Amino acid sequence: MSRLLDWCFKKSIWVYHVNAGSCNGCDIEILDVLTPYYDVERFGIKLVHTPRHADALLVTGPVTRQVRERLLRLYEATPDPKLVIAVGSCATNGGIWYNSYSTLGGLSNVLPVNIFIPGCPPRPEAILYGVAQALGLVPKQVESQIVMEA
Amino acid sequence: MFKHTISELKEALVCLQAGRVTLAYPFQPHAPGGEFRGKPVIDVDKCIGCGACANACPARLITLDDVNGYRTLHFELGRCTYCASCRDVCPQQALRMSPQFELSTSSLEDLQIHVQFKLVLCRSCGEAVSTQRSVNLVNDKLAASELHQDDRDYLDLCIACKRKLAIHTPSLNLEVVP
Repeated sequence: MSRLLDWCFKKSIWVYHVNAGSCNGCDIEILDVLTPYYDVERFGIKLVHTPRHADALLVTGPVTRQVRERLLRLYEATPDPKLVIAVGSCATNGGIWYNSYSTLGGLSNVLPVNIFIPGCPPRPEAILYGVAQALGLVPKQVESQIVMEA
Repeated sequence: MFKHTISELKEALVCLQAGRVTLAYPFQPHAPGGEFRGKPVIDVDKCIGCGACANACPARLITLDDVNGYRTLHFELGRCTYCASCRDVCPQQALRMSPQFELSTSSLEDLQIHVQFKLVLCRSCGEAVSTQRSVNLVNDKLAASELHQDDRDYLDLCIACKRKLAIHTPSLNLEVVP
């Protein structure tokens, strides 16, 4: 079953872009990724207009309290199997709004996230890399660092 | 109709002349130029654990925690805004912004940095004074200075105990020369 999922996520994932309280910085970088210069369509990725056609949700923003309900409805409307991609520092961990009363401090507090793409905003290359990593084309590059003084 | 076809042909010619414009990005590196600020990197040998970066960070992602004689410096890079305030305030130039931007990961733990420093505890009350490294640094600076005061004996006292000692020992008080 997991091999089947791997196979069907290799090509042509259709993406629905959700703005969950973002400042539009990340949204403009996503727009950049769609231009001929970066051309995400060579991976078969394209934006769709309804979550019912989508394989992946591309979420930006720290998830405000107002948008939470709509986000959950979007998530339920997306057919299984689905990917959830958090773009930007806000969606990754809440950004500078992580403890604000009006946000929920990051996407992982609301939905199960498959891949985080931090950056404020992430470069178009970083978004491409994250998506390629979600498709299994490129390896992960970051690791946690733990240093203990004797 | 004919005019329209000609303009379309012209457009096709322009596109042909432009050649290939798309980056082959994930398969070929495309390094950022200029003063791009990517993931902050800490030089553990230089850091003294003073916490200036934790004060300056607007996203409050750097935290200090003093437990059991050790100070833990913790970075939660998931919410970093790459403003480089931490680099600018670091007195030891231990932080730098690397050009690394490919930080995508499936787990937030990959975006954490833990650094642990040994603390100096107050010889009188046992409270944490500062890290061993920063006390050593102050010691070296005092030894190199020309003040010739014997302040170095009190480096392992916390602020409250230092104040008490100064009040109860009149000889320590500086004389004010009129």
